[in-house]
Amino acid sequence: MSTDAPEQSERPTQEISLTLNGESITAEVEPRLKLSDFLRNHQHIRGVRVGCEHGVCGACTATLDGRNVKSCLVYAVQADGSEVETVESLADDGELHPIQEAFHEEHALQCGFCTSGFVMATRELLDEHPDPTDEEIRTGLADNICRCTGYHNIYDAVRRAADEMEGAGTEADD
Amino acid sequence: MSRADAGADTGSASGEKAKRESFTGTSVKRVEDHRILTGQAEYIHDITPEGCLHMALLRTTHPHARIESVDTSKAEDHPDCALVLTGEDLVEDYNPMPCGLEGFEEWSLATDKVRFVGEPVAAVVATDRYVAEDIVDLIRVEYDVLEPVVDSIEACDDEVVIHESVGTNVPDGECLEFGDPEGAFEDAAHVVEREYSWGRISGVPLETAGVVATYDPDHDEFDVDCNIQLHTLVDDTIYETLGYPPEKVRVNVPADIGGSFGTKIAIHRYCSLASMASQHLDGTPVKFVEDRVENLQGGDMHCTDRKYRVKLALDDDGTVLGLDTWFVDDFGAFPRYPVNQALKPLSVVSGAYDIRDVRYDYDLVLTNKTSQTAYRGFGVPPHLYALEMAMDEAARELDIDPTALRHKNLVQPDQMPYTIASHNVYDSGDYPEALDHIQDIVDEKEVCEGGLLDPAVVEAKREEGKYRGVSYTLLIEPGVSGSDWTDRQRSDREALKVRDRDEVAELPEHLRAEVRDDGTIQAWLAADSSGQGHQTIVAQLLADELEILPSDIDTGYLDSVTAPTVYGSAASRMAVMLSGAAKGLGEKLKGNLRQLGAQEWGIDVDDVVYRDGGVERVDSGDRFSLADLAAIDGGINDPKTRVSYDYQHPVTELPEFDEALRNKFPVYPTAAFAANAPIVEVDTQTGQVEILKFYSLRDCGTQLNPDIVEGQAHGGLAQGIGAALLEEFGYDESGQPQAVTFFDYLLPSVKNIPPLELHHTETPSPFTATGAKGTGEGGMIDGPAAIASSINAALEPLGIVADEIPATPDRLRRKVREAQE
Repeated sequence: MSTDAPEQSERPTQEISLTLNGESITAEVEPRLKLSDFLRNHQHIRGVRVGCEHGVCGACTATLDGRNVKSCLVYAVQADGSEVETVESLADDGELHPIQEAFHEEHALQCGFCTSGFVMATRELLDEHPDPTDEEIRTGLADNICRCTGYHNIYDAVRRAADEMEGAGTEADD
Repeated sequence: MSRADAGADTGSASGEKAKRESFTGTSVKRVEDHRILTGQAEYIHDITPEGCLHMALLRTTHPHARIESVDTSKAEDHPDCALVLTGEDLVEDYNPMPCGLEGFEEWSLATDKVRFVGEPVAAVVATDRYVAEDIVDLIRVEYDVLEPVVDSIEACDDEVVIHESVGTNVPDGECLEFGDPEGAFEDAAHVVEREYSWGRISGVPLETAGVVATYDPDHDEFDVDCNIQLHTLVDDTIYETLGYPPEKVRVNVPADIGGSFGTKIAIHRYCSLASMASQHLDGTPVKFVEDRVENLQGGDMHCTDRKYRVKLALDDDGTVLGLDTWFVDDFGAFPRYPVNQALKPLSVVSGAYDIRDVRYDYDLVLTNKTSQTAYRGFGVPPHLYALEMAMDEAARELDIDPTALRHKNLVQPDQMPYTIASHNVYDSGDYPEALDHIQDIVDEKEVCEGGLLDPAVVEAKREEGKYRGVSYTLLIEPGVSGSDWTDRQRSDREALKVRDRDEVAELPEHLRAEVRDDGTIQAWLAADSSGQGHQTIVAQLLADELEILPSDIDTGYLDSVTAPTVYGSAASRMAVMLSGAAKGLGEKLKGNLRQLGAQEWGIDVDDVVYRDGGVERVDSGDRFSLADLAAIDGGINDPKTRVSYDYQHPVTELPEFDEALRNKFPVYPTAAFAANAPIVEVDTQTGQVEILKFYSLRDCGTQLNPDIVEGQAHGGLAQGIGAALLEEFGYDESGQPQAVTFFDYLLPSVKNIPPLELHHTETPSPFTATGAKGTGEGGMIDGPAAIASSINAALEPLGIVADEIPATPDRLRRKVREAQE
């Protein structure tokens, strides 16, 4: 997998091609490789974080063909031919995306390990509900766990991002 | 935008244009955020050096068994296997891990016996983690299965002893008396005696433990990158296990650690094993990342699991005359480092109440469960929970309003600083005022038409089986632990009674800084951070001292060899210790810079002042900027632009603490406090508790950064909600853990968090350099007791008390059923 050492055992692999944050890539992977591990260990995408590997915490949230998935519950081979986006695609030349900026302004992160997952969840939430109610925020973020912030400032960050992005129209989400 | 924000945004390096308003006390936005938000932060999971191999562990599925044989031959035959280690291999070359009590022998891999499900038996190193796990499956272990010890009360009978060489499952305990508890109970008109239990919980940070260890065969030393907490204090757990002196084992922490809450203090097993593996592989780096199931099941990270018996002696008018508490704490298989969390409650033994006659008795018990580590509050949350439950029950027995009973017994403002029976000192605060204040707020907003506690609504809801209630509690967060007392259980306790005050040695907090060529500052912390925003706090404090901008200051972290041994980030220390250190460091640097200027100008140092990020001649107004001073200082052997400072623990100069210090009783010189009022609704048909709104009035002295203070409160309260209602590491009767995934160990999500209304007051601490009090643990300390007390208020008509935490639906439903029978 990550090494071609000659003594390595023979294990089946499969070639996959996908678009990752706008770039086309091709890779040879084992069918059992999780998408989260493919992104982190093979593509050096740090923003995908692994907190539970069983689909509860949401730290590994990434976008697969326009929908958020928990990348620990998807095999890399399932992403063949797909478009994958991670939090790395949001900031523009170091300039924070309005959602990221809102998390910063509202102190909606502490240790930060869950943060990219929450930012991605917020992006999908605001895509569907540009001006979300508290109940919509609650539903939209229910698949992500944060152990530090107690969520209050995350609510505020979502509301602030919604306000900011409304002014910029849907383009702000790009 | 605040003035400080505007100032910080200008980003000038010269500092001369900096605004002179204080950054300290304002919500300067965190410097840590940008790298985290963009995915650039480097956590330990992200560190994988070139050629790094990966370790996986074989963990036992038996709670208690003798190891007959370990067959690693098939594993070693696997083409991708680089190394297999067993307990036997370790005994040859290394040491057992240090333990919290004398007489125990715990190896990083089990040797003779396994003592809890998830205990590691063998380690495999391979080309990647997937393969390492394949190879783990090829190891065959034969066990002689033994009867497990599961219940902590039954464990005390010693019918099955887990450590034969120790001979008992109760290796520590102490009965301490302060004042005359016996007399108080004899004279009392009323004695209330009840039992309570606090479930096994822990911090469960989202980032699991991780380590990358590299042995250097040329110099016979180790580099250990890991996310251990207190890396300069507990590095002994790694180097002693390896059998090396401290300077040969360099423990390095990343700037970003994904939460810890005390739990990662105890990850040394992994750090040691990866180091040993790298040594066996002639210096190939070895990485280990704990997975979540390992973490929950056998990650050495459970915390307090207590059964209490509390007795209160009261007068007819509700004055509490005496307190008698006894508890057992189920420490799991080994009494690890946090044994002293059985003692920390002595720092707040009578809560916010004025009780002089106290007995405090505990037994530390071993069972076949995962060992304990520290968790936010370090043993205090269960104590305050049990105490407040007893206060509620006393109020019922004496037919007094519980808030009136609490008020009657509160420490009064004119008693401050107040020395409690067990010799710790509360620094400052007006508790009656705080309790009145929160009650006034709730009365005004909720006990009225349209409010959550509108009497008509409460009545109508009760008709539907939904019981609403609120309780007003005043709870204390002890801050800034001393270090000297923490080994009381390994000390000769009799000898302590005649110990000299001069024998007490506390640990300071260390900071360093240097002026860089461009006039900006590089500072270094010796304490690790896991989300508390320490880099921001240091930057804002140093910016004020040096009259520059926070953005002119970068902060990094010192490794365990470069840094002196400090206590580090635990026990709500850093607001006090870091701020004291930053202030001292700034003053020292300014003094140095004035000397440097005076030298260069050839004048007396008294004729040079420090102003606006530079030094100035008083006579002519000539200036040297920080960049000028760095250039002047260049090449000097004893550079004046590079300084370090150690802030001494505040108690060292305070005679108030002499008695506690000499005797090694817990010393916590700041007492932050909260007056809480969570409004709860209990559905008696389902046993479900919903917190409708949580009101809290909080005081942690001078706030260094209000946003960060509030963030700590939010997060702490969320953990308090988890502890009170959701979280528990259950075990079945055979010793099998029942909570090994996030489907079973229920962390609060956005769905469990009620609307919060926080109010803040600031009563500065008279004992600390900045007036700050520790505030890192508050909500987790004061949340559970407050919520349980509100459940009691709601269920008072049914005579029910939340005597088991977490108050899960099945437990409450059972009580309702029993009450209605």
